[in-house]
Order: sequence, then C-alpha cells, then structure tokens
Amino acid sequence: MIGVGCTRFGSVLETPELKDKTFQELAAEAAFEAMDDAGIDPDKIDAFIVGNMLTHTSQIYSHSTVLSEWLGMRLKGGFHFDTACSTTNTGLGIAWEMIMSGKCKNVLLVAGEILSSKPKKYFPLDREAVDASTLWEWTDFGVDHVYAYHHFYDIGSAYGAFPTLGYMRKNKLSFEQMDKAMMEVNKTVRKHSSMNPKALLYEKGTLEEQAKKDGFASVDDYWKSEKNPFFAWPTRLFSALNTADGFSASVISAEPEKYAKKTPVDILGFHWTTANYPWYGEDTTDWPQDSLAFKEAYKMANIKPEDVDYLYVHDCMQIYQLILPEVCGYVPSGQAWQYATDGRYMFNGDKPLNVSGGRHGGGHAFEASGGFETYEIVKQMRGEAGARQITKKLDIAVQHNHGYGMHTAVTVFKKGQ
Amino acid sequence: MEPIVKKWYDGLENEKIMGAKCSDCNNVTFPPMTVCRECRSRRLNPIEMSGKGTIVMFSATILPAKPFADMAPIPYGIVKTEEGPCLFTKISGVDCSSPEAIRRENELLPAPGEATIEKVKGVNIVTFKKA
Repeated sequence: MIGVGCTRFGSVLETPELKDKTFQELAAEAAFEAMDDAGIDPDKIDAFIVGNMLTHTSQIYSHSTVLSEWLGMRLKGGFHFDTACSTTNTGLGIAWEMIMSGKCKNVLLVAGEILSSKPKKYFPLDREAVDASTLWEWTDFGVDHVYAYHHFYDIGSAYGAFPTLGYMRKNKLSFEQMDKAMMEVNKTVRKHSSMNPKALLYEKGTLEEQAKKDGFASVDDYWKSEKNPFFAWPTRLFSALNTADGFSASVISAEPEKYAKKTPVDILGFHWTTANYPWYGEDTTDWPQDSLAFKEAYKMANIKPEDVDYLYVHDCMQIYQLILPEVCGYVPSGQAWQYATDGRYMFNGDKPLNVSGGRHGGGHAFEASGGFETYEIVKQMRGEAGARQITKKLDIAVQHNHGYGMHTAVTVFKKGQ
Repeated sequence: MEPIVKKWYDGLENEKIMGAKCSDCNNVTFPPMTVCRECRSRRLNPIEMSGKGTIVMFSATILPAKPFADMAPIPYGIVKTEEGPCLFTKISGVDCSSPEAIRRENELLPAPGEATIEKVKGVNIVTFKKA
C-alpha cells in the first residue's frame, strides 16, 4: 500500500466538509488524497475497484462506469464489488491478487456510503433524511430473508445483546461489572474520536466532556441515564455504531520504490470467510467465521498472535472490542474486559485498539469504513497520526471486519521499507 | 430439485415443523436448505422436528425490524432445538416489558421451551414458548 485517503465522516446534509457534494465528488476526494499520498498519477493506475452498498441512497448501479471519469480512470478496467461492511478490507486482498497475478501493477480501491439521506426523487443534490427504521429495512437485506428475517429478526439482540450476555456468562461477570466495562470501552472510543479530526464525533469531545456538557455530575450517572437507554438489554445505545456518510480509498502497488515518497505498508496476509444467519450457536462469543479468518490470515502472513502490535476490530457493537481481541490472541482469553477497564486499549497503552474511534466515534459508513480503518493503520505505521500516535513500537498490524451478514475479512499489515 | 422453502412453509400450515437429516453425517439442518450445514452433503432426508428445545437467552430491541415495529417490544431469543441446530425467534411466556424484567428472566435461563406455529403478517413461523 503506497497511498491512503478518506473524507471526513459526517453527514452530506450538515457536515461542512461533505455538504453540497455528490457521491461522485466525494469518491474523487478520497481517491485523489490516496493518489497524491502515493505520489502516483491516475495514468499509472491499471485498474480500480469500487465498493458501495446502499444503492437506494447513491442511486448508482454501474459504479465503475459512473465514477470512471470523476476518478480520472476513463478507459481503465474497473468493477463494483461488495462484501457489505467488510468491503474495503476485502478489497485489499482483491487488489493484492490482481497485482500478484501479474495483470496489474497499481490498483486503486475506493468506496463510499451515504446513510444520512437519499435523493427525494432523482436529482442527487435534492435530498431528504432517511429514518433509522427505513435504513435498517434496507440494510437487513444483508440477512437471510428466506427464514431468519420473518422469525422476528432483531439486529440489536443478535449483534449486540446476545454476544454481550454470552460474554457475561462465560466470564461470570455480573451485569454491573459488564456495564462498567462497556462504559470504559466507550470512554476509550470517545477519547480516540476526540483526537481524530476526520471522526464523526470529533467535535463532541470525550464521554466525560459530553457528560458535563449535558449537565451530569459524573460520567457514571450519564452512562446510566435516559440519554443512554438499552438498545437491547444488556447493550446500551452508546455501545452501538453511529451511522455516517463517508468515503475512503487506497492505492496498492507492485512497485512501491517507483512512487512512494512515504513509508509503504506491506500486505502480508489475508483471509475471508462467510456464514449465513445464525452466525453462532449457544456460545454467542464463538463465531467460527472469525476464528478461521484470523487463523488463515496469520498462517499466510507467517505470524503468531504475539507478533501483533496493533489491532483494529469491527466494532459495530463495542462488545466486539472485548470478544475479538480474545479470539485472535491479542489479549488473553477472559481478560479483555479488564484490559479495557485498565485503559490498555488507549493509543498510549500496551494493547492499542481501534485508535481512530471505531464505528461509534469515527462513524460507520458501511462499505467505506474498512478504508477509514486502513487509513488509520497506515498513518499510525508512518508516524503521521498526530495527537493519537501510538506510542509503542508498531511493526505488525491486523485489521478485522464483519460484512453484514456475515462476511469476515482479516488483513495483516507490516511496516515496509 | 423439489422446492424446499415452499414445502417448509406449507408444512407449517399443516402443523408440521420439518428439518433435514444428513445421510452422511447424521446432523440435522433446520430450517432445511439444499445441503447439510455441517458437511455440505446433498443427501438430506426430511424429518419432523420434535418441537422441543432449550431457550438459551433472549432480549428485545428498541429498534425492531420495520415489519414488526407495531408489535414491539418483542422478546427475541436463541433456542437450541432437541435435534441440535439453534433457531433464533420470538419467545413467549417471558416478560420483556422493561430492562429489569429482561434481566430477571434471563437469570432463569436456560430453560425448556416448546415450539408453537404462529401466523405473523400473513406468514406462518415457528416461535417457542417457555415451558
């Protein structure tokens, strides 16, 4: 990887950096940042691949043709691909394969998602807000509609409450202990997003600052208040994602020495797995698609869990900040809740995790989010992350994503020469 | 290939809950699909499910799927069927009127449950009632 780019995550209806811009322009903004970062001209890109899930809001089907000229990719090979919220992680592996086949030398990966709004009719700048219920009606097409959806499918329980309850039971934690641990996770999430100018909640500050602003004497009171109801007991609203509009891009190259002015990042290994709903059985913390994806990606990269310096896991629900680091051996089994409580996930901790703010603080723009996280990994590896720069040695990083529902993508990165 | 999904829903209309037993590994796939979920074999034989299972846990969201929004709150849980596979569906016989109630009820789980066929929005589905 020789270049990365991403827009601010926010809302095209409100956020100054995004407002009054179309899907095409915002995709170009992310792609241009990535190409400029790589020091490569569009002419030298052999192919480009595009991710976007909700065509209801983008009103685009043939993404590569529609975007070709906006990205400077006219007459280049391109295609749209989709593994939902793991798309830009999956795309790294696809680009790697295109390059390793010898067909391409440089590939541009770009993705975008607009979740705040849709065109009222056909004109892309004449938009209206999309309510949460409608957004999830569209999103849930990613889940089995033959059987599961009609059996009262409930994402809040399936993706949040059950894994949380499973983690409590497995580790013999009381609800009070679990709730406190999830608050500590969120404090770290918000601390990280308060230091990331591209994050959705950047201006909102830390959880402690927001508690104060909203008139609460303590952050504990705020956490337990009506501002933070149960999304599905025992999971509270602040432990869930915040949807956002956003775009991300990266350039993957077979010849980094020719272009890269900055430290390149090598893709050492990757793996993808798929499973239909239900994603797990009685043990709601054991998802076979995750353990297998980590195992095979580590095998391809020839690394062991103890080699990983920085981990980024999919955290649509923050419970995965506890479950997945244990699954992949980043922290010892049964101890992630303690690690989170002790602040060890912080950028200056010994087990940094999701330092850009994750999908709550950073915001979640479905298919662009993986790229937002890769952007963070590359910036961290180069030492360009500013205030939130990871303080420990950073040589190997791993990115995990879930694509609804459920595609797992894991990529292993190494700081290049 | 015979229709699988239509046959399953038609079966519910006749109060039969069907699964598919694998001739190669003996595992049951439920609800039935084209292949065994465990070993990928296509050699599946229809079996009638016992309708018995264990309710593992449940919760209820404040953002239910749109088709069921007017029925909220809906207790939604995991049932481990007697035959092995888990079904995620509505649980009856539990109180989900408040977070405290959901917590209290979950402290009494796992517990046995029994299948019920319910018509919801014009579609027959399998739900479980806490015994």
